[in-house]
Formats: sequence, structure tokens, C-alpha cells
Amino acid sequence: MHAADADAQALAPFTTWPDGPGGAASSQFQVAGMHCAACSGLIEAALLKLPGVLGASVNAASARLALRWLPSEVALADVLAALQAAGYRATPDVAAPARELRRQERRQALWRLFVAGFLMMQVMMLAAPAYVAEAGELSDDLDRLLRWGSWVLTLPVMAFAAGPFFSGAWRQLRARKLGMDVPVTLGIAVTFVASTGALFDPTGPLGHEVYFDSLTMFVALLLLARWFELGARHRAADALEAVAGSLPMTAERLAEDGGSERVPPEMLRAGDRIRVAAGEAFAADGCVLSGQGFVNEALLTGESAPVAKAVGDAVVAGSISVDGSLVVGVQRVGADTTAQGIVRLMQQAQSQRSSAHGILDRVAAGFTAVVLLLALGAGVAWWWIDPSRAVAVAVAVLIVTCPCALTLAAPAAWLTASGALARRGLLLADLSALERLCAVDTVVFDKTGTLSEDRLQLRRHWAPGADADLLLAGARSLAALSRHPHARALADGSVGHWSDVRELPGRGVQARDPAGALWCLGAPAWVSPQPDPQARLAFGRAGGGDGVLWLDLAEAPRADAAEAVAALRAQGRRVRLLSGDQPMAVARMAAALDIAHWRAGATPESKLAAVREWQAAGERVLMVGDGINDAPVLAAADVRIAMGQGAMLARSAADALLLSNRLMAVPQALSLAKKTRSVLRQNLAWAALYNLACVPLALAGWLPPLAAGIGMACSSLFVVLNAQRLNR
Amino acid sequence: MDVLYLLIPFSVVVVLLIVAVFGWAVNSGQLDGFEQEAERILLDEDQGA
Repeated sequence: MHAADADAQALAPFTTWPDGPGGAASSQFQVAGMHCAACSGLIEAALLKLPGVLGASVNAASARLALRWLPSEVALADVLAALQAAGYRATPDVAAPARELRRQERRQALWRLFVAGFLMMQVMMLAAPAYVAEAGELSDDLDRLLRWGSWVLTLPVMAFAAGPFFSGAWRQLRARKLGMDVPVTLGIAVTFVASTGALFDPTGPLGHEVYFDSLTMFVALLLLARWFELGARHRAADALEAVAGSLPMTAERLAEDGGSERVPPEMLRAGDRIRVAAGEAFAADGCVLSGQGFVNEALLTGESAPVAKAVGDAVVAGSISVDGSLVVGVQRVGADTTAQGIVRLMQQAQSQRSSAHGILDRVAAGFTAVVLLLALGAGVAWWWIDPSRAVAVAVAVLIVTCPCALTLAAPAAWLTASGALARRGLLLADLSALERLCAVDTVVFDKTGTLSEDRLQLRRHWAPGADADLLLAGARSLAALSRHPHARALADGSVGHWSDVRELPGRGVQARDPAGALWCLGAPAWVSPQPDPQARLAFGRAGGGDGVLWLDLAEAPRADAAEAVAALRAQGRRVRLLSGDQPMAVARMAAALDIAHWRAGATPESKLAAVREWQAAGERVLMVGDGINDAPVLAAADVRIAMGQGAMLARSAADALLLSNRLMAVPQALSLAKKTRSVLRQNLAWAALYNLACVPLALAGWLPPLAAGIGMACSSLFVVLNAQRLNR
Repeated sequence: MDVLYLLIPFSVVVVLLIVAVFGWAVNSGQLDGFEQEAERILLDEDQGA
């Protein structure tokens, strides 16, 4: 029991238990040593052989592994050992070790790229004299020396820089799965062996030409393409971590006897009590037990203004206590916290390979087999026609048909787009939402919390028989002394000379002016015995009497709401407002934002019916709501975006979460989705065209290995760089 | 031109040395953050990087 407990605790930072404790666990890992889409299949196959592993899904582009397994049947160490045996390293995906792994991977990749790139240039230099020399200008001795020099400089490229290709091909062969590394390695090995043979024995069957220059260039360009891919992958991972933020390293846990100790957040359990001092971050989700203060939840909501928390309020892990010391009863820890829930949504989105992606994987295997047969056939055929060119033609076929561009096309586009959206505050939980976004022609907004801020704004003020503006200035200066939302809406930074300030919960704030008179700002019924029914707030002398200022507050639309609605309309999309609020308030908001189609007083059921009705009329609906009251409507819409607020977040059925609360991200996401689709199509078309055009040329022997190598690397680079356009 | 027989092997050795030096630089973290290095000049000394 204790061992199982300790295990569960060790797994907590990167594992969730969807079926409850003791059931199947779902863990996230970062995998190092992956080079291509085919690797993901190998890892999945290796893990599924283990008893107790229910499912394994690897995303090639983000190098993440999502594992569903039974910790009761197989130990974590065995899982990691199985991965190691397959030739990969995995670390549990909590930010720090994964970042270290990324750094190592980056250094290694840069080191290999430099070795290949720098030596390529030197080999080129040594090869150039033979290309430019007239007959008789270059003595045989010197020619041999230059070739020997090229050979020596090629050795580090073969032994070190090209290592990932060899190990990748070996893994694929051992798993009896053909991926892109096999034809690449075959091309490299064949070229190297043929050239080395020609160097040692120029009159031998391998001919007298050496291809060291094209060989090193091929490896360097391939590594350069991979370097860009690595950059894109790491950028996506960084964007994810930037949003996720980090938990504190330690938390102060209170013991029963009144003492306290500092423990790492993994040691916390539900039911513990922790004390969070001013300036500290919350280590777990929980509920305030004592104390009060302001908490910055910018991490989760994008709202930079601190939120007041008192006894009984919920706080979330990762947010920061701005002032005051709070004692919090821990409710959720580790991977179950809201902050980690967001990270997990993001990771799952990246682990789900879209269907187009999966088809490419299957095509790649058959494709490689055909390529190998073609190369062999071409080599044999040319052996009869012109033996001296047989090797060159076979090599050209192998190099030119590497399906690298084909397998890179989709993940490069999807991942770059989701990274770009994450930086705008829109987290994609489901990558396929990008495709569905392209079809959207109607955008439906909820009002409260979506188009409007939660903060209120002064709409109207009046004071029968008194100077309303003079009173308003007094009310504003008194409001500055209160933290109630109504007062915050009123305060404009002006300060008055108030003394004896008292805040009465549920009523308002009262204070004395320099003359000693007591003034009240608060609920109309508290300020005056005859409250004006239209007012939400009143300001006047204590005890009522004449000269009471009445104030009406209204919701303020978000700063960029009008801009976002205009942008959506400019894109040719219908914008609708669907709200459960009073018709007056909804009409006012619709007029302010220039929305022609609006419906007020809607219940969740009638909202659902309205969306269904629009869908039946052929509209593709994007619903933007706050995800809590709108859950059924969100579920019915074609694409759903939830505002990133509150603890319901992780459970919401949204395709995407708008963490920044900037509505402009919605039109931006729609146009980026369109761009992503066209980039993806360009990529696939380019990869297919390239292979179609080059294979017959290589078969016919018109394509020298050098040109084939450049072409292949360029097609991969084209695909990755084309996807990078989505980053802008 | 006989000096080429000395210079070519010599250049090969120098190239391999440069590769080794670069490897040391990468693995000691000198090339980890290009952007960060560019911004370092804007920071005050006591801010670090």
C-alpha cells in the first residue's frame, strides 16, 4: 500500500488518473532521439509489447509520448528501459528535465550540423581543382592527394554527423518498418563505399569518380533541414511552457500542531493546509481557509488586475498572491491542477496525430519499399547498358526519392500554426479544429464574460435638485478607497480628503469629509430611505435627505470587441450575439458593437435550439463562450472557443481556449486557419511534384547525385520554411 | 608548387582542429541563446543575463 502510494506520488507531476486512483494512468513523456515520423511508429510498437500498456501515442513533430498504462502491472522503470532498448530516451514531461533534454538535443544537432556544414565546404574546396583544371594542369600525384584529403575530411561526417541517419535506419530495419532513414542511409553508404573503392583502386569495378563533395553536402543539407525542424519543434514546446508558467519549488505546509515545514509541491496531498505569503505562487488548487488578499491570476485568465480573495474563495495553482498571507486548503495537486490541465490539453492536442498525417505514415512505408526496388532495378538495368554509371544511377534514385518532404509537410504546418496561435493567447486543444475553422461562416458570441468584461462602467448619473457632477467627483474620490467591483468601476484615480473610512460588507463604504460630515457610497437602499429603482449605486450624506447622487453602472465591452466584430465581418462572416441577459442590456451591447443579429433572454436550451436551427440552415457555427454556462451550446457548435476563466476550464469541451481574453485572436485564428490549409496543400503538392518529376530523371540517368542531393534537401527545407510563414 | 604537398595535409589537420574547438564551444553552452547574448549589452551589470 505504501509502495503504491509512493509510486503514485512520484508519477503525480506528469500523470492523471481518468478512471480514478488504481485504474489506468495517463502519463506524458518527452522523447529524445527522434528524427522522423517513422520513429513514432517504432516507439509505439515497442511500448505496446509491454504488459500493462494500454495505449501509446507519439507525436513526431513535438517528440511527445502520451502513454495509457496500468502502473499496477508494469513499473515505470520497465517502461523507460523498453524505450531505452528501442534506442530512445524519455523523461517524464514536467517542464525542467524536458527543457534540459531540449538543450542537449539542440547542442548535439548544432554540433553535427557544424561538422557536416564546415567539412562540406572544405571538401568542396579540395574537389574544386579537379573540376576546373584543364587536361594536364593537375598532376596525378596532386589529384590523388586532394582526393585523400577529401576522404579524411569525409570520415567525421560519416562517423559523427550522419550518425542519426544510421541509427535511425538500424532501428527501422530491426523493427521491420521502412521509413525515410533507410533510403537516406543506403544512399550515403553506397556513395561512400563506391567513392572509397574508387580512391583506393581507380581501375576497379566501382569506377574512378569520387563523390565526397556531394556526399558531405547531402548530409549537411539534410541536417540543416532537420535543424530547422528542431527549431520549429522547440519553439512550439517553448510557447507551451510560456503559457503554462511554473509552479513554485516549495510550499509551506502547516502541521496539525501549528508548526510548518517547507516541502516540494509533489509532496502535497488533497486536504493539506499550506500558507502562501505575499509574492509567493500557489503550489496547488484549493480554497482559502483564512486570511484575505489580492491574487494575480494573469497566468490563467490574462487579466492583469489582481482579484480579491476571501475565506471560501477558490485559488488556482500558479497564480500569485499579491498582498496578505493566505492559508489554503489543498484540493487538487500536481497534474490535476487547473494550470497543468491547460498544459495537458495542449500536449494532448500535440500528441493527436491528425488523420491526414496518419495516412502519410502508411504511404511512406510502401513508398520506401517501391523506391528500394526501383533503385535496385535501375542499378541492374544500367549495369547492362553502362556499368560505370550503374552505381551513380542507383544512388541518384535512392537520394531523390527520400520521402522526407512528404512526411514533414503536415506536422510542420500544424505545429507552426498552433504555436503562433498560442502566442496570441489562443490555445488549441484539438489540432483538427484548424481545418474546421476554415469552413466557419457564422460566429456566435455570448455576452457576459465574452464580449463584455466582468468589470462594470459608469453609464449614467443623476441627482435631482443637486449638482450631479460635483457629487460625482466626491463619489469617485471615495470609491478609490474601496476594493468592491462597483467602486473600482467608479474610481478614476482622484483622491479626496476622507477620514474615518469604513467599509461595510454588503452595503458600501462610508467616510467623513474635512467638515466632519459622514458620507456613504453604496447600495441605494442603504444610502437613502427612498431608493431610485433605476440606480445601482448611490452617494449621499448618511441618513439620507436631499442631494443624493444616483449612479447606473453597465457592462463595458472588451477593449477590442468592436474591432474583432468588424474584422470578422470584413472576413465575410456573420456575427451573432446570443445572451441570457435582459433585452435592454443585450440591445445596448449589440448597438455598441454594431451587431445586427442578436437574441436576448435565451436559456441554455433555447441557445442550443438556436444554434441547431442555424446549423440546419447550412451555417457552420463557431461559438465563443465562457465555457461554464454555455457548455451544451459549445458542444453543439461546429467549432468551440472557450474564454480561459475559472476551474471548469480543464473539463470544458472546447477546441480552443482564449487565455488572453483578447477577442482579436478569433478573427486572427480564422485567417490563420485558412493560411494553414493553403500552406499544407502547397507542401503536399510540392513534395508530390518533386518526387514525380525527379524519379524518372534519376531512372534515366540524367540526374547527377549532386543535383539529386540538393533537390531533396531543398524540398524538405521548402516545406519547413513554407510552414514558418504561419509564424508571422 | 611542391609546397602544396605540405600545405594540403596541413590544412586538413587545421580544419579538424577547428571542428574540435567548435565542438568544445557548443558543448560548453556558448551557443545556447543567440537572442539572449544580443540583449545582454542592454542589461545593467548587476542584472545578469
